Amino acid sequence: MQYLSLTLLIFLPLIGALIIWGPWFAHNEVKIRRFAKGFGGVIFIYSLFFLAFFNPAKEGFQFEQTLTLPGGKPWLEPLGSNFALGVDGISLLLIVLTTFLVLLALIASKYSITKRHKFYYSMIFLLQTAILGVFAAKDLFLFIIFWEIELIPMYFLISVWGSGRKEYSAMKFILYTFAGSIFMLAAILAIVYYNYLQTGIFTFDLTTYTYMKAFAYPTLLGILAFLGFFIAFAVKLPVVPFHTWLPDAHVDAPTPVSMLLAGILLKMGGYGLIRMNLQIMPEIMQILAPLVIILGVINILYAAIVATAQQDLKKLVAYSSVSHMGIVLLGLGAMNVAGVSGAVFQMVAHGVISAGLFMIVGVIYLRTHTRQIPELGGLGQNSPKIMYFAMIIALGSLGLPLLIGFAAETLAFYGAFTSNVFSGFSLFDVYIPVSIQILTAIAIIGVIFTAVYILWMFQRVFWGNIFHKWRKFHDASPHEMVVLISLILVIVVFGLNPTGMTDIFGPTVSSLMKLI
Amino acid sequence: MELITQIKDVLLPESVMVLFILLTAILSFLLGSQKQNFIFYVSLTGVALALVSLSFADYTVEKQALWGSYVSDYFTFVFRIIILVGTAFTLFLTKDYVENFGRSKAEFYFLLLTASLGGMLLCGANDLVMVFIALETLSIASFALCGYTKLDKLSNEAALKYLTFGAAASAAMLYGFSFIYGITAQTNLGAIAGLLSTYEINSVLIIAFLLILAGFGFKISAAPFQAWAPDVYEGAPIPVAAYLSVVSKTAGFAVLIRFMTLIFPEAAIFSVILATIAVITMTAGNLMAMGQQNIRRLMAYSSIAHAGYILLGLAILTGEGITAMTFYLITYLFMNFGVWAAIELFALATGKDNIDDYSGLGIKYRYFSFGFVLCLLSLAGIPITAGFFSKFYLFKAVALAGFWYMPVLIIALINTVVALFYYMRIIKVIYLKPPAEIRHEHVFKIAFPVKAVMAVCVIGVITLGIFATPVIEESRVITVKQDQKVAVSR
Repeated sequence: MQYLSLTLLIFLPLIGALIIWGPWFAHNEVKIRRFAKGFGGVIFIYSLFFLAFFNPAKEGFQFEQTLTLPGGKPWLEPLGSNFALGVDGISLLLIVLTTFLVLLALIASKYSITKRHKFYYSMIFLLQTAILGVFAAKDLFLFIIFWEIELIPMYFLISVWGSGRKEYSAMKFILYTFAGSIFMLAAILAIVYYNYLQTGIFTFDLTTYTYMKAFAYPTLLGILAFLGFFIAFAVKLPVVPFHTWLPDAHVDAPTPVSMLLAGILLKMGGYGLIRMNLQIMPEIMQILAPLVIILGVINILYAAIVATAQQDLKKLVAYSSVSHMGIVLLGLGAMNVAGVSGAVFQMVAHGVISAGLFMIVGVIYLRTHTRQIPELGGLGQNSPKIMYFAMIIALGSLGLPLLIGFAAETLAFYGAFTSNVFSGFSLFDVYIPVSIQILTAIAIIGVIFTAVYILWMFQRVFWGNIFHKWRKFHDASPHEMVVLISLILVIVVFGLNPTGMTDIFGPTVSSLMKLI
Repeated sequence: MELITQIKDVLLPESVMVLFILLTAILSFLLGSQKQNFIFYVSLTGVALALVSLSFADYTVEKQALWGSYVSDYFTFVFRIIILVGTAFTLFLTKDYVENFGRSKAEFYFLLLTASLGGMLLCGANDLVMVFIALETLSIASFALCGYTKLDKLSNEAALKYLTFGAAASAAMLYGFSFIYGITAQTNLGAIAGLLSTYEINSVLIIAFLLILAGFGFKISAAPFQAWAPDVYEGAPIPVAAYLSVVSKTAGFAVLIRFMTLIFPEAAIFSVILATIAVITMTAGNLMAMGQQNIRRLMAYSSIAHAGYILLGLAILTGEGITAMTFYLITYLFMNFGVWAAIELFALATGKDNIDDYSGLGIKYRYFSFGFVLCLLSLAGIPITAGFFSKFYLFKAVALAGFWYMPVLIIALINTVVALFYYMRIIKVIYLKPPAEIRHEHVFKIAFPVKAVMAVCVIGVITLGIFATPVIEESRVITVKQDQKVAVSR
């Protein structure tokens, strides 16, 4: 147990980045890639140990670690901030998802990355450090630090190795996220100051604000702070009015980076919503639950309809991501154990499935250099393996029973349907009987649209007769097989046995809901 | 005899500077034109000795010299260190730049040391006359430094512009002093503070405040007195631009802090005026920086924007605000000098200073670009660099000053987004564009002093970020002392 240090886990990737970036490492593409894959594997295995020694039944944070300066002084004393780390069921799951997907992205980088390898792999590792830090931070200040460090490697990953309007997309990504995060900064300062006024203690320690909160926030301050957090995470998740960076960034990023963007970066938004909005301000969340749920329904329907009309494969997958993130929002808005569990489950499920979908798109793009659906067709004739892999992932995405997507969506929708956060509201003295049940029923229409665009896309790309110009289309190479099979294993195993996953985060979610 | 005690206790660093200023002046005509570079070492020794001599005196208690017109306390101690370190950086930057100066090289060092002496005196000035003399010493030396490359048209324009603005600002400030003197019949700041503490705020005091603010606002390039900055930074020799953007500004802030804490009582009206000026300064600086093509002009606007952020610390009228300002100035010293060193190195190698000329630098010079980008990210306030911590600490101080400062805080935060955009533009050019041909590549190998400055700045930017606690604690000591002094004088 004492060898499991979260600090080490977070900074292992950074060490890897320094090893690769420094002058001591040869400018040899193969060597760099092999080292990166090996190092990514080590980090993944190390993170699995945390999962093995994790005790789900225990409440609160585990593997807690606080670094102090020599002399026992806290890290940033004048700020009331500490280098404090800790994980609970939700964050541990996302940490393992991160190390898993980064490893797969490193393997998938073989064909799509053709230049500046040292820079690329060190940036991937820097990104991993930042994301792991966000998930493990037990201090609001530390959370912001890692949240913003993540921008820089992502900017470079999109803008250097991307395609199309990559510089525009990267700049859009970084400005949107940074603009969102300043609202979070303001909100954090506001609640810290309020806590300081109430208790006289100036601290950024997360547990002060979540577990033993001795006071309720005044409604106006609470709503403003809630919205501050919400905007930051809504940009990241993304929620519909703030989503426009996502299709651009996903389309222009190289395949492995798209996998990471959809697989992990969006989860930072969902994680933030649970950790900050739900855990710090549950009473405000109850007031604003209609807003969250309506935004979630809009997300599901709007993005699904837009996805149906897409001709570009990657754009279609990107919009499907937005649609699926709406389910997370719906589950969180339900404010009950089933709903929040569904949201967490959906985050993991979507992380695996969307990474798989982007991998499939990348595989096709590598061979044809086009992502336009009308130009493709009949690819299944030449490449049965890719077709069957794609089929399983696509069916997982539309929520076929016994695959991971089904468990997640069902749980979230069940939670929303059985929730009683609101049963209608009055507007200008007119009572509008729009309850969460009705909204959920509307949202479920989105699932039909998902089936439409996924199956239609699959049919147009893989079935029928192959075009003459794609006659040399060859089947999956070993690297791609490894990536796809690993993802499909997760999709199938946790689809058949969802309790294997709910056992990890279920108790955390239950104790979270006890706050309300 | 009393003077000697005072020099020993209080004015030792300044005396060392005076000595070495005279020495450089003498050496400049004693040495032949081939040996002028020797003066660089002489002036560097002077700055180093001044730094060493700072440590001899005891700064835990306040001491006065020159009949009360100069005080030495912890506040002056810290600000003098910033100024001397900045001067040392400037000297290093000058070492390889002197080739552009033609025949007269030595006078540059003479003027630079004189300006720094003015800045040091300004930090501790405790008398209206002393403030004016110190400010003019700094200003007049800076005017001459700006126009040092006398055959360069831009340099001449810069000097003239700086001189005109500076003269007008000094005149306005002097007029403001006359009001203060009219109210109190005193020139000593401590005595004025004592008399004003019972004085009700009226329009005369507000006018005096605005006029004095014009004088100091010119030094720190706060809006609406910022218009000289872009032209001066573009035209002046690069070491001088770096010097003006950090050292001269630090001195201006030092005297402004002293004035605000001592003379002008903690009244809402002054807070509102300062907050308005801070907001306008940062917004104007950031918005105008967005469209710049020349990196020196961009850095000028960026330094205007940073002046706005720093002023915010003064506007909230709390001790934490001044702590945050001091910490910000310390980090600003490193991050800004890092960027200017990079600009100079590039300018020495290529003779160009447009942003587009930096294309592909990240591919050819990985470590150089890494340092450069790190300093830029620090200016933008991206974490793990010092800039993030100082900005956060400042914003924290603003948030803690009360909920009514929230709108100002939001505007400042939005400003950081705008700022990120133009810093990222430089980074984009460095890393994403195809490499351009660089004519004098050997400069990157030989310009050791410039690279040394950059290395020190990059190390400073990283370590000040991660180990910020001791530095903030040091800055906080200033505030405590300053508060005690205000209490005593009232």
